[in-house]
Amino acid sequence: MTPSLVNTLLMLPALLLLAIVFAWPLLDSAWLSTQASSVLTGLSPIANHGANWQRLLGDTRFWQDAAVTLRFALVSVGLELLLGLAMALLLHRPGRGRGWLRALTLLPWALPTTVLALGWRWIYNDPYGPLNAILRAFGAAPYGFLTTPASTWLFTVLADVWKTTPFVALLLLAGLQSIPAELEESLVLEGASPGQILRRLTLPLLKPWISLALLFRLAQALGVFDLVQVLTRVGPAGSTESLALYAYLNAMRFLDFGYSATLVIATFLLLVVLTVLGWLLLRRRALEPSR
Amino acid sequence: MRGLLLLWSLAPLAWQLYTSLVTPEALVSGSAGATGSFWTLENYRQVWLADPPIWRYLLNSAVVGAASTALTLALAVPCAYGLQRQGGRLRWAVSLALLATAIFPTVLLFLALLQLARTLGLANNLLALSLPYAALCLPLAVLLLRAAFAELPPDLEDAARLEGLNLPQRLRHVLLPLLAPSLASTAILVFLFSWNEYPIALTWISRPELLTLPPAIARLAGSSLFTVPYGAFAAATVLGSLPLLLLVLIFQRSIVSGLTQGAIKG
Amino acid sequence: MIDAMPVLPSPAPGLRIEGLSRRLGERTLLADLNLAVAPGECLALLGPSGCGKTTTLRLLAGLDAASAGRILLDGRDITQQSAGERRVAMVFQSYALYPHLSVADNLALGLRIRGMAPKEREGRIAAVLELLQLGELRLRRPAQLSGGQRQRVALARALLRQPRLVLLDEPMSNLDAQLREELRPELRRLLCGGDQPVVYVTHDQQEAMGMADRIAVLRDGALQQVGSARELYERPANRFVAAFLGRPAINLLPAQGQRQLGLRPEHLQPVLHGGIAARLQRREWWGNQQLLWLETAQGDLRMLVAADQSLPEQLQLGWRPEHELWFDSHSGERLAAP
Repeated sequence: MTPSLVNTLLMLPALLLLAIVFAWPLLDSAWLSTQASSVLTGLSPIANHGANWQRLLGDTRFWQDAAVTLRFALVSVGLELLLGLAMALLLHRPGRGRGWLRALTLLPWALPTTVLALGWRWIYNDPYGPLNAILRAFGAAPYGFLTTPASTWLFTVLADVWKTTPFVALLLLAGLQSIPAELEESLVLEGASPGQILRRLTLPLLKPWISLALLFRLAQALGVFDLVQVLTRVGPAGSTESLALYAYLNAMRFLDFGYSATLVIATFLLLVVLTVLGWLLLRRRALEPSR
Repeated sequence: MRGLLLLWSLAPLAWQLYTSLVTPEALVSGSAGATGSFWTLENYRQVWLADPPIWRYLLNSAVVGAASTALTLALAVPCAYGLQRQGGRLRWAVSLALLATAIFPTVLLFLALLQLARTLGLANNLLALSLPYAALCLPLAVLLLRAAFAELPPDLEDAARLEGLNLPQRLRHVLLPLLAPSLASTAILVFLFSWNEYPIALTWISRPELLTLPPAIARLAGSSLFTVPYGAFAAATVLGSLPLLLLVLIFQRSIVSGLTQGAIKG
Repeated sequence: MIDAMPVLPSPAPGLRIEGLSRRLGERTLLADLNLAVAPGECLALLGPSGCGKTTTLRLLAGLDAASAGRILLDGRDITQQSAGERRVAMVFQSYALYPHLSVADNLALGLRIRGMAPKEREGRIAAVLELLQLGELRLRRPAQLSGGQRQRVALARALLRQPRLVLLDEPMSNLDAQLREELRPELRRLLCGGDQPVVYVTHDQQEAMGMADRIAVLRDGALQQVGSARELYERPANRFVAAFLGRPAINLLPAQGQRQLGLRPEHLQPVLHGGIAARLQRREWWGNQQLLWLETAQGDLRMLVAADQSLPEQLQLGWRPEHELWFDSHSGERLAAP
């Protein structure tokens, strides 16, 4: 056996499982999106010649959800990058108890989203939640954080930022650790200020990691489900209904599998388009197969 | 600055802990109510004695977590080894596929996976959950372990080959013992993922006594959308987070270094 | 199981390499190598990095596959055998000691895998540890050893196999200069003169000359010349061999008829008249010798003279005709004296 054959055989079981769990569902959903499969058909698939896709194009709820999802992804990922960078710089600074600090800031990322989403629901509670208790202490009237569409959306973003910023920070921390200290030291010798070092040295060298974090978080945020499903459901006036949630509701609530599959594939296509766009923008580093 | 960071990260969690430990009256009014007590373990008693009790969900999650971790490592180790030794186009293609699947939002798979589970009779089977979980963790696990294999001096394996060790022997006696830290951090990440996974558990498992923690807690919430028993909930949250808390605090070094090393070298 | 193979009538003992090549895609790492190493003989493979010496060693060990050619060990063709079957031992540049195992366990692993009885195994290990004076270190981890000690453990692991061929890949390059000199006789005592051939890879000409019975000089995957250190030094096959052996490097002067004249720095000497005019530019004083940098009409020259010799700024240079080495300035091949 040639080494190449041995390597392939070693990789095969893992690749097979990946194919079953990633490739097959996508193909299956793509096929199902061309079928009527709902309570009306007794859940058995019957070809309906693109009717699902026609329905999708005219479905204002889909377009609203797409806008909600996209806005959610862009805003929350943007905030996560900013906060994550600050957090990474802070975690990178030497000092006593740095390991513990890292572990503790990592906690929100490590705990189950569903559990934390419920926690946030309680924190936002009107009138008994802690945020309202703080407002009361300052003499303000209680505020319904999850009652109007705009504020519901905003506070969902906040919860997501809280939960996933540690992950971004961790990736950027990896980037910071890969920058040799001598580079910064030589800039210091030339009299650069901390701000100049950040702009001229750290950020340019951090670019590949920022790209990676951006790519990863954008893809994940476009599929946001756990958080909204538990925190707000569809939210007032559908303000927090993500595409994934809509697809889930179609399958599990309305028992319309054909249309659910259509939504899944539409979301997937949106994802591919956005990632490829992002990819082209940051191509150089991420694609490069490592040594 | 560090204080602010800790406040931001921990205050919401601390609030959960507080909520779980006080009486409903105390929670609402901030002072001891008519019963005269402020602190209480009643919430914990309630979830511990519920039907099914919370420890059942914890146990289910632990079983799924252990099975997923074992399966992931069993598949990821040979794959990472093969990938590291392989060159050329195949390596490039597999690396790209792994990267693509690593960033893929898993929720998009739930529908077809649900149908697969029904077809194969895997629904309501706790151990079967480890199949999709292992698959979802494989990309990251393989990338991390490949980076770890790349770190090992190639001479070590050559020396073992010269001494007549075959591949399984080399892995068992030379490579894996040296990879132990990376294996540990990979295992922890897989366990975290499977402990936290929601959409697939939600759709595959319908029997209450088989639920893992995330859908179980979400179900608690869903059962009463308007009058959520927040105290009981917080108790469930604390109990459900405790194993992860311990894991993160005990293994913080290997989690952080495992992830950062993997990212740097990958 | 190897010993059970039919023995040829009179197997040529030692190592024979016939037409050995290795190609990777477009690149040729080693082209058509032919060499023989007798039992007990130590052959050094010498050349700059990328010349194919480590490639050769890995082919001999069975760690990489040959594209063409045969390797014969004691008359048996081992080209297709796997590394583990060959009874070849190798000392790696990094020593490749298993960092998670103690010295004793490092030695035991291979024997254990081959299913040797514990009693025999322990006996052999004890003998090797004693031979190399490693007994006190047997429970230490590699990280707790000095560089020299690690090298001895690596050597012990190689000898333990009772190999038919010993390969060494730059075994001294991780040691400091003084230790290297001290270890050379010891290494020769342990390895050479037994009944197995020894192939030693190095890029250090001094080490090759000090260790080896014969030296094979490689360049870009092609063998340039094989011979004793003296043969290579005095009668180099080409300009490359002449320049690679000898420090400071040989002086090359352009000459008529597409030729170059090679003169070693120690062969130049001041003469009263009739030589070429030179001007002293710089001197490096080395304690036992001094190196002079000279400027002449033909180009810059290096000259090695005794440390106490004092020379004027302007001088005439001469040399004995038998020290002249003539090269074809295109091919670099050495030519007969004109």
